[in-house]
Amino acid sequence: MPTDTAAGTRSTPTPPAAPRRRLIRRRSHRKKTALFTVVGIISIVTIFPVFWMFTSSFKGADEVLSTNIIPNDPTLSNFDYVFTSVPFARYMFNSFVVSATVTVIALFFHSMAAYALARLRFRGRDTIFIAIFSTLLVTAPVVLVPLFLVVHRLGLLNSYAGLIIPAIFSAFGIFLLRQFYLSIPAELEEAAILDGCGYWMIYRKIILPMSRSIFAALAVLFFLANWNSFLWPLVATTDQDLQVVQLGIASFQDQHSADWNYVLAAALVAAIPTLIVFAFFQRRIVESVKTSGLK
Amino acid sequence: MPPPSSSAPGPLRTLSRRRFLGGSAAAAATAAAAPLTGCGDIVGTSERDTLQFWNFYAPAPSEDPSVVARAEWMQATVDQWNAENPEQIELVFAPMLGSEKLATAFAAGTGPDIFLISPGDIIRYINGDVLVDLAPYLEQQAIDDFFPDNMASRVVGDQIFALPMEIEPLALYYSRPAFEQAGLAEGDLPTTWDDMLGIADRLIASGQGGLVVPSTQGYYQNFVWYPWMWQGGGSVLSDDGTSSAFDNDAAIEALRLWQTAVERGLTPRVEPAGDDIVTSFVEGYASIWQSGIWSISDFRRRAPEFDYGAFPLPTPPGGEQATALGGWAFAANADGANPDAAARFCAWALGSTDTAGVARVAEWCVETKTDIPPRVSSLEHAEQIGGFDTEIMSTFRDDIFPTGIGEPRFPPVIYKAVSDAIQSCQLAGGQPEEQAATAAQGIDAYLKTYEGAPL
Amino acid sequence: MTGTIGTADAPAPSTSHGERRQNNPNTRARRERRAAYLFLAPNLIGLTTFVAIPMLMSIVLAFFSVDGFGGYTFVGTANFERMVNDPLFLSSLGRTLIYLFVLVPGLFVSGLGLALLVRSQFPLVGLFRTALFAPNVISLVVIALIWKFLLTDDVGFVAKILGRVGITPPSWLGDPSYALATVMVITIWFSMGYYMLIFLAGLQDIPREYYEVASIDGAGPWATFRNVTWPLLKPTSFFILLTSTIAVMTGGLEMLVVLTNGGPANSTTLVIYYVYQQAFVYGEFGYASAIASIMVLILLAWSALLFALTRGGRFTHAD
Repeated sequence: MPTDTAAGTRSTPTPPAAPRRRLIRRRSHRKKTALFTVVGIISIVTIFPVFWMFTSSFKGADEVLSTNIIPNDPTLSNFDYVFTSVPFARYMFNSFVVSATVTVIALFFHSMAAYALARLRFRGRDTIFIAIFSTLLVTAPVVLVPLFLVVHRLGLLNSYAGLIIPAIFSAFGIFLLRQFYLSIPAELEEAAILDGCGYWMIYRKIILPMSRSIFAALAVLFFLANWNSFLWPLVATTDQDLQVVQLGIASFQDQHSADWNYVLAAALVAAIPTLIVFAFFQRRIVESVKTSGLK
Repeated sequence: MPPPSSSAPGPLRTLSRRRFLGGSAAAAATAAAAPLTGCGDIVGTSERDTLQFWNFYAPAPSEDPSVVARAEWMQATVDQWNAENPEQIELVFAPMLGSEKLATAFAAGTGPDIFLISPGDIIRYINGDVLVDLAPYLEQQAIDDFFPDNMASRVVGDQIFALPMEIEPLALYYSRPAFEQAGLAEGDLPTTWDDMLGIADRLIASGQGGLVVPSTQGYYQNFVWYPWMWQGGGSVLSDDGTSSAFDNDAAIEALRLWQTAVERGLTPRVEPAGDDIVTSFVEGYASIWQSGIWSISDFRRRAPEFDYGAFPLPTPPGGEQATALGGWAFAANADGANPDAAARFCAWALGSTDTAGVARVAEWCVETKTDIPPRVSSLEHAEQIGGFDTEIMSTFRDDIFPTGIGEPRFPPVIYKAVSDAIQSCQLAGGQPEEQAATAAQGIDAYLKTYEGAPL
Repeated sequence: MTGTIGTADAPAPSTSHGERRQNNPNTRARRERRAAYLFLAPNLIGLTTFVAIPMLMSIVLAFFSVDGFGGYTFVGTANFERMVNDPLFLSSLGRTLIYLFVLVPGLFVSGLGLALLVRSQFPLVGLFRTALFAPNVISLVVIALIWKFLLTDDVGFVAKILGRVGITPPSWLGDPSYALATVMVITIWFSMGYYMLIFLAGLQDIPREYYEVASIDGAGPWATFRNVTWPLLKPTSFFILLTSTIAVMTGGLEMLVVLTNGGPANSTTLVIYYVYQQAFVYGEFGYASAIASIMVLILLAWSALLFALTRGGRFTHAD
């Protein structure tokens, strides 16, 4: 891949000799074919279990757990059921509101903190970073009850705020962004300071624009984490109007048996938004190539 | 349950209930977060005036007829109560697949006023002192009306800590098409363990599915296993509940039975079709399956045409028939907003002796579910309204239920010791004698320091 | 001081810029400090309230016996003593170590490998990336069902395929000697796309010029990887090494609960599952907290080691 990016974008004053360029072309073509084949096979193997879920969600209740890959009697009734019998659209809406809000606010807050930790010099910087980092070591099952108490005390149970606010704060994004900001060349900031920019301006005009690819990646991860969250919404809400997607899926499972045809259809529907988010952002991640700023 | 107090030196002994965590949370949260949000208890649940009834039936999240029927029964019961009483009750749906919700709420001291409880869990609640004794709210006539064997796990002395809403006995289901394919007839239904293994062998030899008993470790597996031990006269604890009786032949043979079934390839190591009996029978993945009476309604709903039957668990040589009785119960939270009203509700909903009360329980069991009513009068009423007209329901009532023993209430340590023995023998090649002895040791060691309700 | 390996030859702060900047060093340092605290403030408040305080409360709980119904009794170090004599805890710790030693490198290599494969443009690459990430977007309950179904003994898809070539596979999830390995494979299957994504972003962070230089120098793919990609990927690698260790040790719980419930015969009872079981199945929140605090200690030690080796993940003078 180094070869084709180099050949594709460079505007060097001395173009390589024609035969060499042809060689590079041919090599790069062969390489693309090889990549296509290898990645294609891995992707198919990886996606296969998901494919089974896809086809099975079109099976009826009597067939859903049979081993056939292709339904004998495909039906859309599971999807119909998921949307008509359960306020599934409402669940999706709730999940979307929570996930999108958390993602946007978290990206903003986390990048601010990461900028300070990576680029600014102040007393206690390393201590603060380590303290922030150590909150990553949290073990969900044992903090659930204390967190519940805190949120209860703050009067945030059974509200959107109770779903959103605790989910915003995590050291994961701060840590990842800090690692990225460490490698930004100092010259850019130096120049900005010479131009009289304050730190807020540097953050907005230099740091944020350089964060596009990592923001795209983090947006996917944040959205995903919140869209898939189950335990916290389970304990933090009792109001039916605040139910989120994963709770909706769980409601198709009862005491001794589960309606797997509905569970699968609901899970498929629930997977679509995150897949779209991923498909949309994955291009951003790889397209926004950074330059070193050194010329 | 309180730990051995000898291990708690110093003046800092028992802190008052709910003060400690709640208090520190309050202090910490106020200090750290008040400036962040700037608002106090606006939406708090602390000042709720209606009683909450957490359950996994209503409000129904679904439109499936059988789910709706259960939700409607719940709703109708609560509506009637609300119309007749000043204390209002609200139904809150807490999904089955989310027991953490209840555990978190109780640990935080904000448990629901009324909730559903299973025998597997009840001892922790009894020893935690959070259940209201319902006996004072029940007429003696009502107390006598409940089947005593099934009540045992909910009773301490003459206190009643939960009222069962249903009885769910276990049996072996079999697939008639599979039996026919293997050239087996009704008369071949096994009555002894050896018969059962032989029949399973024949089924598998002729290309049919095998015999399924649970293999996933957990409370449910123990529950399903106990009757195999009981049949040989064994039990986990001695009669007075103060020492282990697990190291006995009956338990060892029951462990060996499940082990043999797996080793001979008659029982799969993982339940087929995601542990679903209906699909497994319809698709031919299994021919015999140990399950509870509830499966009847699953077949009705999802494969009404499928031809199946049920028979009592086969017995070992010289053994006696036995089965385990499961089912959930209503319980009232002693630390709730209004324990008295919560207890009155439980007693009224399931223990009223008037016609409506008797009918209510019967309807729950045979109209919304396929269960045995937990009361003599309700069972009679259920018969009158046709709940036992089908062959399979009458088989359960006549041949299976009478040999039932209520699911025992064991604290986690005892449950786990038994579970480890079952798992080790069934799936990891453990020696039944050794495993039974190890479990018995563990149970005895635990019982030495156990303080709490008799087991 | 902020340069990484790649930009290590960047001018030090003692250039002509530096001289002018020193006009008023005190004011600048103060401004910088104040700005830093302001940038950090929202996160610090939020993290303290919703993560640190609950964490501290759970650590305090480790010294209490908790009945799960709001009753707390101080028991000193009893919970920690109990751990030493608890065979299931000790065996779960052993299993967790195996799990770590396999999964952390496994996820690192598979994530990085996939990222290197799909970073460039070729036909359908966007679709392939999405396919590789797809397992992440599915609810874990369904993931567990899918695998239970595919791996069912005799009638499952995998058994049927292998049966066709004459292999009788073991019971992947029902045999204690295979179950943990099966869980690890499933975990890699569904997490590798996640780490691929982070690595992809990290790779994009490497300035293209370096590759151009390498290509002009006639470096082969391996040399390019060793001399350009690997050193410049260090901050990302560091991040992944740490967070995947944490994730492997403290995550994946929901899947264990629905896939194996810690079985068969406890063979997939990892520490995190044991903590969960103690807390939510047995109501032993105190004991669960004690075990969790041991996990925190282990992770702290591991992180401290990595931090020390890498100068706080900055790699400033390391290597």
